Amino acid sequence: MMQTNLGRRAALLGAAGAASAFAIGGRAFAQTQPLVFGALPPLTGAGGPYGPAMLRAAQGVVEAANSAGGVKGRQIRLAFEDDQTNPDAGVRGARKLIDVDRVQALMGTWASSVTTAVAPLCWENRVPLFTVSGADSITLLPHQGHIFRTQPNSRLQITTGSNWLIAKGAKRVFHIAAQSPFAQSSQEVMTERFSAAGGSVVGFIIYESNKTAFRSEVDQIMRARPDTVVLNGYRPDVTILLRELFRAGYDGRRFTFAYAAPPAIFESLPNEVTNGLTTFQPSPDLNSTAFNRLKASFGSTDVDPYSAQVHDHASLAILAAAKAAEATGTGIRDAVRSICQGDGTKVDNVTDGLKLIAAGQAVNFEGASGPCEFDERGDIRGTKFRYDVAEGGRYRMLELA
Amino acid sequence: MEAYLVAMLVFAGLYALMALGLNVIWGLAGMVNLGLVGFVGLGAYASALLTTKLFWPMPLGWAAGAVVAAAAGAGMALIVARLRGDYLAIVTLGFAEVIRLVASNEIWLTNGTDGISGIPGPWRGDVSPQGFNLIYLGIVWAAVAVAFILLARLSHSPFGRVLRAIREDEDVAAVAGKPVLWFKVRAFTIGAAVLGAAGALYAHYNAYIAPEGFAPLLTIYIVLALTAGGVGAMRGAIIGALFVMLLLEGTRFLSGAIPGVSPVQKAALREGAIALSLILLLRFRPQGLIPETTRTKASP
Repeated sequence: MMQTNLGRRAALLGAAGAASAFAIGGRAFAQTQPLVFGALPPLTGAGGPYGPAMLRAAQGVVEAANSAGGVKGRQIRLAFEDDQTNPDAGVRGARKLIDVDRVQALMGTWASSVTTAVAPLCWENRVPLFTVSGADSITLLPHQGHIFRTQPNSRLQITTGSNWLIAKGAKRVFHIAAQSPFAQSSQEVMTERFSAAGGSVVGFIIYESNKTAFRSEVDQIMRARPDTVVLNGYRPDVTILLRELFRAGYDGRRFTFAYAAPPAIFESLPNEVTNGLTTFQPSPDLNSTAFNRLKASFGSTDVDPYSAQVHDHASLAILAAAKAAEATGTGIRDAVRSICQGDGTKVDNVTDGLKLIAAGQAVNFEGASGPCEFDERGDIRGTKFRYDVAEGGRYRMLELA
Repeated sequence: MEAYLVAMLVFAGLYALMALGLNVIWGLAGMVNLGLVGFVGLGAYASALLTTKLFWPMPLGWAAGAVVAAAAGAGMALIVARLRGDYLAIVTLGFAEVIRLVASNEIWLTNGTDGISGIPGPWRGDVSPQGFNLIYLGIVWAAVAVAFILLARLSHSPFGRVLRAIREDEDVAAVAGKPVLWFKVRAFTIGAAVLGAAGALYAHYNAYIAPEGFAPLLTIYIVLALTAGGVGAMRGAIIGALFVMLLLEGTRFLSGAIPGVSPVQKAALREGAIALSLILLLRFRPQGLIPETTRTKASP
């Protein structure tokens, strides 16, 4: 074998050289003149299908704000890092954004574990954090007002879903859930809702989300004779569950979260399996001008709820910075509620909003994801939900409520 | 910038501690341990639970993290007594997954996939964030220094020589009258204790742990750190950890400097660059940056 070994000194020298190259690179790109915001979306890992569009939505808003003259004459720069859908990588990315780029607000964290890991850094460094994570526990952290969440928490989601099912006449419900922060709390909510309405949850199973066969679970479902099965899982396992339920001849209602059965599921399952599957999701305000403008800027592709929310994160941060006496993290944190709720003039984009704020007027921002009003814990209020049914390999919207 | 560099040095220190622990098990005794993140997780959970639920003082929590991981390490060594090479690797990988699954399902104890937040840190909240960073930098690198001195002595002691003999050829060591299993158990215990301590320190620095944080990704980073630094040499473990952290973080700035690529391509390029650097290093410097020097290896 050919031996081309580097000597120890050469190797260490090379490593040191690389180190100093990185350091110089870092200095050259750490300009702090403009107002800097940070995005921490998942560009790789489990959130990879969503992160790129989320980032694009935020970039679009920043570009619009910059061409409208920026915040009090200061241009805005959007720094971003990939959180790799991993808490460890997310914390390192957030450190870089906070300490090197000196961002005044962070936005677009997706996985609940990443958001929870990054949150202490944010409140310690007085940087507000705008997130799309749904775990109930996030806004219960001692965040001193630094967390703003545009995603309805999981308790609200399952309550809304249960109420809808009750209204549609569901009496005997079977709940099958992947192990997650909200599996148990979903069950409590459902039991409470259904027994109050005279129905019952006839069965409840928690499974490990990377399971590949669900024979015994499906047997249990069939034995309980439910009129509705709530599939509270993720796409890979829900795909298998749907197939096995079909094989077992289950003909009741199947109800699941839209993220667990995105349109791509039609490529992996035949139509006879998916027909009749009902999905629900917190919905962007599909008829709002903000949403339609975002959709147009994305081309003809569908806009997922997360991108719509991150569009609003960037808009809220920019308008709050313009409203605040000082465009700092604390200033933005304190100003957010004054630009998105109240009696101000309704605006749905940063261009108009910046203009009105500069003229000293009160504004009320209503974004692509909805009215963007936050309660005292930082949770979103009044989000709409949409319900779709699968028919012949595509979704048809049943209801937006 | 300073705060960021300090934070990354803390992470590098934690990685170095993990690499040192792995080096005893893999580098000296030659047992491939791909379950190291399991021991790290055990240490992290032990310390986090004892300090948040039973309000133990932090140093006791860290010690408990090390003890719990060490006990698991001893048990593990007995279970895998007859396994070598690939089979050992698979079993240890499985062990780490078991720990992760237990952590996400035993909700009464571990709070499930929500994780444990609000883990205390020394003087956290009383001093500025940067002050806390500096305090922790001192603690972590002091721990690295202590572990390094002790393990380096261990590695040059007769005990270390026996471990190397077992690594090179178990049967020869046995024929020479060495109780191989007993040595393996002790090596596994010591290594796991260091891994557990690293996990405990990690938990108190981040203030939050969740099962997802102990996915195999961390194992891969540490194995790469040790491979890059030089398997077997204690100094190599530390240099390797610094090198891996430099790659992970440095590529951020390099990929940011490339014009005309989309954010997703940058993220992918970054991961590609990390992989490529390590492949190149292993191709041209397979013994690592600081190879192990022993009398047998000095003159090939």
